[in-house]
Amino acid sequence: MKRRIGMLLGLAALAMLPISAAAQGGDVLIKNATVMTASRGTLENTDILIRGGKISRIGKNLPAGSARVIDATGKYVTPGIIDAHSHTMMSAVNEGTLSVTSMTRIRDVLNPTDVAIYRGLAGGVTAALLLHGSANSIGGQSSTVKLKYGRPVEDFLVAGAPEGIKFAMGENPKRSNFVIPGQQPRYPRTRMGVLEVIRDAFVRARDYKRSWDDFRAGKTRVPPRRDMELEPIVEILEGKRLVHAHGYRSDEQLNLLRLAEEFGFKIGTLQHGLEAFKFAPEIAKHGAGVSIFIDSWSYKLEGYDATPYNAYMLWKAGVNVSINSDSNERMRRLNLDAAKTMKYGGVPEQDALKMITLNPAIQLGIGSRTGSIDQNKDADIVIWSDHPFSPYAHAEITMIDGEVFFDRKADIERRGLLAKEREELEKLDLNKAPGSGGAAPRIPAERIRGDLGHSEDSDHDDQR
Amino acid sequence: MKLLLFAFAALLLPASALAQSTAITNARIVTVSGATIDRGTVVIRDGLIEAVGASAAVPADARVIDAAGHTVYPGFFDALTSLGLQARPAAPAGQPAAQQQAAAQSNSRYPAGLRPEDRTADELRAGEAQFESARNAGFTTALSVGRTGVFNGQSAVINLAGEDVAGMVVKSPVGLHVSFSTIPGQYPGSLLGTISAIRQMLHDAKRHQELEKMYASNPRGMRRPDADASLEALIPVLDRQVPLIFNANREIEIIRAIDLAKEFNLRLIIAGGQEAGKVTDRLKAADAAVLLSLNFPKRTTASSPDADPESLEMLRFRADVPKVAGRLAQAGVRFAFQSGGLTNLADFTANAAMSTQNGLSTDAAVRAMTLSPAEIFGIADRTGSVETGKIANLTVVRGDVLSKERVVTHVFIDGKLFEPKAPPARPAGTPGTGPAAAAAGVFNVTIEVPGQPLTGSMTFTVQGETLTGNMTTQLGTTPIRNGRVTGNRISFAATVEFGGANIDIQVSGTITGNRIEGSIDSPQGAVPFNGTRVP
Repeated sequence: MKRRIGMLLGLAALAMLPISAAAQGGDVLIKNATVMTASRGTLENTDILIRGGKISRIGKNLPAGSARVIDATGKYVTPGIIDAHSHTMMSAVNEGTLSVTSMTRIRDVLNPTDVAIYRGLAGGVTAALLLHGSANSIGGQSSTVKLKYGRPVEDFLVAGAPEGIKFAMGENPKRSNFVIPGQQPRYPRTRMGVLEVIRDAFVRARDYKRSWDDFRAGKTRVPPRRDMELEPIVEILEGKRLVHAHGYRSDEQLNLLRLAEEFGFKIGTLQHGLEAFKFAPEIAKHGAGVSIFIDSWSYKLEGYDATPYNAYMLWKAGVNVSINSDSNERMRRLNLDAAKTMKYGGVPEQDALKMITLNPAIQLGIGSRTGSIDQNKDADIVIWSDHPFSPYAHAEITMIDGEVFFDRKADIERRGLLAKEREELEKLDLNKAPGSGGAAPRIPAERIRGDLGHSEDSDHDDQR
Repeated sequence: MKLLLFAFAALLLPASALAQSTAITNARIVTVSGATIDRGTVVIRDGLIEAVGASAAVPADARVIDAAGHTVYPGFFDALTSLGLQARPAAPAGQPAAQQQAAAQSNSRYPAGLRPEDRTADELRAGEAQFESARNAGFTTALSVGRTGVFNGQSAVINLAGEDVAGMVVKSPVGLHVSFSTIPGQYPGSLLGTISAIRQMLHDAKRHQELEKMYASNPRGMRRPDADASLEALIPVLDRQVPLIFNANREIEIIRAIDLAKEFNLRLIIAGGQEAGKVTDRLKAADAAVLLSLNFPKRTTASSPDADPESLEMLRFRADVPKVAGRLAQAGVRFAFQSGGLTNLADFTANAAMSTQNGLSTDAAVRAMTLSPAEIFGIADRTGSVETGKIANLTVVRGDVLSKERVVTHVFIDGKLFEPKAPPARPAGTPGTGPAAAAAGVFNVTIEVPGQPLTGSMTFTVQGETLTGNMTTQLGTTPIRNGRVTGNRISFAATVEFGGANIDIQVSGTITGNRIEGSIDSPQGAVPFNGTRVP
């Protein structure tokens, strides 16, 4: 079974063109579904009318009018899954040369043709927070995207989403596990050094802001230099940019909350936070979100003191918790990760669903427009074959802003066309293997590496 | 004294410029700028075209070349090469990056690779023998620039003749060339950093320009702006006098280059452009021309029953490249052909011909290797077509210009005649033609050391099955040993310095088109690496 799913996803991955269904804009009526709203409980035998990309009406026996009807009898509908920690569709992840790389922008390196996007859609993911890697005390500026595979890169960006930035503490920014032979070790090398680098950046940003304020007030004649490193840090101080801070140890993450309070801003999310349960009340009081793995730990020294009950304990303390993937592979089954919060501690079903929908939406600052099935929200919707917390469930249709970006049926139908296209392409001289006598390359009976052949397909687990 | 000066000046002039004229008669003349003349005469004097026409008079003093059955074209123009540049000697192995830069000798505040002030014209070497193979293929003119670093330097258009550099250069600087590359061992070490570093430098250059203006108008009470040659070199770029020429092949790379140019309102030219056909609307909106590489990707991987099938994306990419020129022409995007690092210029014409089988007219193909590059580089008033008063760069061809059978019989550069000899037929299987040759070139590579990828480059030279060259990373530059090429597989050994000790590594890889991937084995374990060919 597992292999078969791998094969299917592998084939689906061949789809590089926007599927024809995506072209079908216009109004849609989803009929007779079990709707898990993520905000107002589960509604049986319910219709959802989508107009102009928004959820226009939710109710029973809604008139279709001119809308295209999708019969969802026996199926489940949820809000699109939002992954609050992803490195998908990025041509570069880390600028590891400096400890502060706030001048870098994920927006600059987005790759809208990364097939991992399509695989995410096949797992019901509609939006993601794309973060710089964790090699830096202060990393690059993040991007909040909807996975509009097949569209130009600009279309992926969520308009009006707050700006964000990656921070990191602990082993990764102090480069404990990344000694490059022959290279000068990069400062800082200790946890206290990391905090010092962050504090120093804020002090510099404050001075920088003052130099511009003075210039604008006419106190100085020469305009200050525009510093692309410090500008985003000024925006943090002004509350205009959310900090998403990678970290593991509770002492360290608590220190960061205190540093933020000292400089008068709020941390957006603590990322990973495997020990967040140890200081859940302090997190709740500060108002930061926490974005975690459900049951992944011990992959590094600072990841030992973890428990799958972390989500439950944080939820109990009133913290906004999301479950993220940090991986192109795990992104495809976040629904099962959410289900596990019910197993470990007994998070209620809707709160479990929220951890991959509304909660990350709130953490990304887009909770007012997506993350739940409510009137006037963006129609970011998944139709599941089964209860989404069942291991047998798969996403049948994934919609973003009311347009279909993944349609399992269309995908399966298209595989024949793609196979035919491949056959034609392999006949071309440019695609013939040298020394093959012109024969098309043999397709192996069984794929040994499954769908892992794509060059940009690597998982970014080493960013954890 | 006067006489001496005159004699000296005469020495500098091309030999043919001394008094005597040349007349090419009875030729078909493809002027490119105007109508083709079925049978006419081109008169050359003093390095210039003196007359062109069906009934142009042959001067009494003319050396006459009867070109009946031949066609005269404007000299072919390769729109991006490194011709005339000597490869910089590699730094000794094991030398850290900082020392290598010190060796490069510059007072710039920026590391080698981030110095836009570097000029090709300063690094060209003299001597026309080096251009013989290009001339034999009919090329008279080329844009030349180095290939390393983020800023590759400011290019020059050169004529492929002349014994001193000053006489070779037609225009300099032409453009500031940029690659999405990295600087070994320091910032920027990734694409993220590269774009950010360019952005910061452009902001800094803008400010530098403002401060210089302020200081010029009233220096009193103001600290003088620093004499920063690197930033100063960016000012003509900001002022749109010098275009940015971005090496970008894939669709998303071209979009990134367009976005960056738009952010600072810069003039943009795309070099490479293998997927430019997908972004014609953006190219038009940005008024960006394309220096289209004719180094078409070819499959080099042998099929193996154990191998994964190639991705559909790769198969489509290869199939699409020959269609790009036609799409650009149809969309009205200005473009010129460049060799893209081709080692055998016969492939230049073969692939131009392939473009004509995929939607490009032959006239447009000829234009893309003559007048179009001259227009894009702003020198169409002096070269690129067969017109009176223009530089006498002419190529005389027997046979269909893009066919394999065509023969270049005469090449004139600045009026000086070269008579190429047809190359001897190469027996099949000779080194230099097979897939092994595809390994030759420079590859920018990323070595996936967990958590902190190392970046660097591998430079390969292939002779038969022997691979030589060097590998440059943060650990320094090291020559490769025991290098072998088998089909598309390469392998070699090298020694890198690691914390004072020498570590032997074994590298193996596969080259597919312009991509390389493989693994590096060391006593510490194996790490994968991958990269792309520097276009």
